Amino acid sequence: MFRRRSFLKGAASIAPLSLVASAAAADIENAPKRDFYKELGLTPFINAAGAYSSYGGARMRPEVVAAMRYAATHKVKMRELHDAVGVRIAALTGCESAMVTSGATAAIVLGVAACMTLDDEKKMRQLPNTAGMKNEVIIQKKHRYTYDRSLTVAGATLVEVESEADVRRLVNDRTAMMFFLKPTQIGDDIPAGQFIALARELGVPSFCDAATTTPPALNIIDGVNEGFDLICYSGGKGLRGPYSAGLLLGREDLIRFARRHAAPNDTSIGRGMKVSAEEYLGMLVALETGLRISEADDLAYKGKRFDVIVNAIQDIPGVVTKVFINEGHAKELYLDIDWDADLIDLSRDNFVQTLRDHSPSVEIRLMLFSGGRIQLSATVMDEGEDVIVGQIIRETLLAHR
Amino acid sequence: MAPSIHLAATQAAAASLPKVDYYADLGVKPFINAIGPYSSLGGAEMWPEVIAAMDYAIGIKVRMDDLHDAVGQRIAALTGADSAMVSSGATGAMILGTAACMTMGDAQRMERLPDSREMPSEVIILKGQRYLYDRSIRAPGAQLVEVETAADIRAAVSDKTAMMFYLLNRPEQANIAAEEYIAIAKELSVPIFCDAATTVPPVGNIKKTVAMGFDLICYSGGKGLRGPYSAGLLLGRKDLIACARQNGSPNHRAYGRSMKVAPEEYLGMLVAVEKSLEFDEDAEYRRQSNVVNAMARELALIPGVTTVAAVPKGEAREPYIEVHWDKTRYDVDVAALKQALREGDPSIEVRALFLSNQQLHLTAVALKDGEAQIVTGRIRGILLQHETRANADV
Repeated sequence: MFRRRSFLKGAASIAPLSLVASAAAADIENAPKRDFYKELGLTPFINAAGAYSSYGGARMRPEVVAAMRYAATHKVKMRELHDAVGVRIAALTGCESAMVTSGATAAIVLGVAACMTLDDEKKMRQLPNTAGMKNEVIIQKKHRYTYDRSLTVAGATLVEVESEADVRRLVNDRTAMMFFLKPTQIGDDIPAGQFIALARELGVPSFCDAATTTPPALNIIDGVNEGFDLICYSGGKGLRGPYSAGLLLGREDLIRFARRHAAPNDTSIGRGMKVSAEEYLGMLVALETGLRISEADDLAYKGKRFDVIVNAIQDIPGVVTKVFINEGHAKELYLDIDWDADLIDLSRDNFVQTLRDHSPSVEIRLMLFSGGRIQLSATVMDEGEDVIVGQIIRETLLAHR
Repeated sequence: MAPSIHLAATQAAAASLPKVDYYADLGVKPFINAIGPYSSLGGAEMWPEVIAAMDYAIGIKVRMDDLHDAVGQRIAALTGADSAMVSSGATGAMILGTAACMTMGDAQRMERLPDSREMPSEVIILKGQRYLYDRSIRAPGAQLVEVETAADIRAAVSDKTAMMFYLLNRPEQANIAAEEYIAIAKELSVPIFCDAATTVPPVGNIKKTVAMGFDLICYSGGKGLRGPYSAGLLLGRKDLIACARQNGSPNHRAYGRSMKVAPEEYLGMLVAVEKSLEFDEDAEYRRQSNVVNAMARELALIPGVTTVAAVPKGEAREPYIEVHWDKTRYDVDVAALKQALREGDPSIEVRALFLSNQQLHLTAVALKDGEAQIVTGRIRGILLQHETRANADV
């Protein structure tokens, strides 16, 4: 009996586990406040451009930041975390199964790898050598894009098609996957519905890169409903989740194989694409929050930022502003600014450079993405930054009257 | 000043939210870690200073290229390396380092990886040092060429050779001493890469290893350095680090675009290096020794149980105890005991696999206050449950 009691005594003292977290929180608060970027000689900037990877991604939702802090101070086993978060994300989005990846690119790499090897452990270890396995990915010529590079990272080769007849002619026993990009700049030769039906008929897994089709987060539910076998999203952009996180959603078997290709599995091809516990949990909370928060609230927030900027410059003669929602798969609010060249003698390139060189520095959308227009996004802007941006733009325009 | 608006707003908004017990909500249970900071167990407890730095980086935006440049320079200065970068982990560093040696800045080669047909793609590895993670060397398309002697190396190196590889934590498994291996690589003008992922603590090892003369060295960030989980270091020659960065994120068409490193991980990794280098490691070593020794004393009170205290030779200097018990008295083997500890509540993870030569090892590196007693109490409970009748009746 004595022995049994001491055993129970041990089990009863689980309490310290949660106390540790609060002790850690105090240590974090007590860490000396440092201005790291000043120490490193780095100049912070105001991001009126949008959630680009090279600019550090999205403005994470506060709920996501809180969840990441929690995960940083509470340890659990990664596999259990992956299972639980995967189940929850699948339930939220209506897909069969789900995983968090180190970004949309990683989701593509792991998805292709899953389709090439299925559950064959020997093939998994063999990648990127694809001898003896399916390694061709069907892609529409109009869907070729910068990130199709990730389709070949695990060892696959691309086969271009322009019609249903091409697909029927080119699918063979080496075909691992059929890839679809949403949205494209130049449309599709084979629309999504037809593409999916064709893939089903031919018994080939279909994959959709829908990385940039949020906000709103609700678009994910529509995306899942379309019926692709796998679909991926970026986490650190429209969903306002962690920078190096993304989602891979789809068929239960394929997600299971994709997970085996991923970290923390020691001998997987994706071991380098690590996802931390805080990113895993942060991604779930980004999705939950995004689905809960009304789209109107998000648009209203961005609209308020633009109101402030417009109010700061609209009295300048010759200046025209337009706030609008773009046409496309993601619903994003933009502000276009233009001016009469006879009244204000300033080129668009000089305008962009002046804002960039200003202190604080301001980045607006690259003209490559805005079709040559002066265009601002408020997705990564905080309250108060709008005032500063408005002032800087006002000064810049007035200086060239 | 604008940037502080960002930081203050983010932190205030996050702090004002109701506290949620996410893991309880998800049904994921905490566990006791008596094995060490393994990736599958979430890595090491980060320094509080690292978490504070990560909060800062989440709140303030800088351009990623500028951040990579500045942090790289600072880490190089701290470690004595020519150049440095933060990767998505030690594996990420191995993959990018190998890709760098294969492509050497050639844009067409970088675009083609892992198709390595028209570039140097062979990596020389000592037969005795083949290990679990050499798989990552093959990820960007390289092939491994096993050698055992200096003569083998001279015979194997050709214009197809991209790199020579050395695993630092298993010097006893090297057929050739590190110094000689490095000298041969220099003589043959082949870049030499060293996996030193698990050789810290002590962190002072980093400077010593850098001084040995490897062209590239990788470290895990989320283990001995107590930095972010999905972060690591690649240190070495300036030209090779530049090539490795070209193969990495956020470059759009890079082979390694998928191995993303967040700004908070970049900054957190720098602070982890700073903090680790100034930390009193001897005191930490004594603390861990005291904890494992106390566990040893507790366990030695159980009849038929003995313990041996030890320190790994090549691996990170983490004191551990090896636990033995009289198998005729307690009818439970190491695997079954490990499983029983894992399945109990709270779950306890111990080392009892190939890394420990099938023995039961306990470490204190990731144990929190009060957990050592729970571990010894549970081991005692499980042993006594399996006590053979003859002894139980005594």
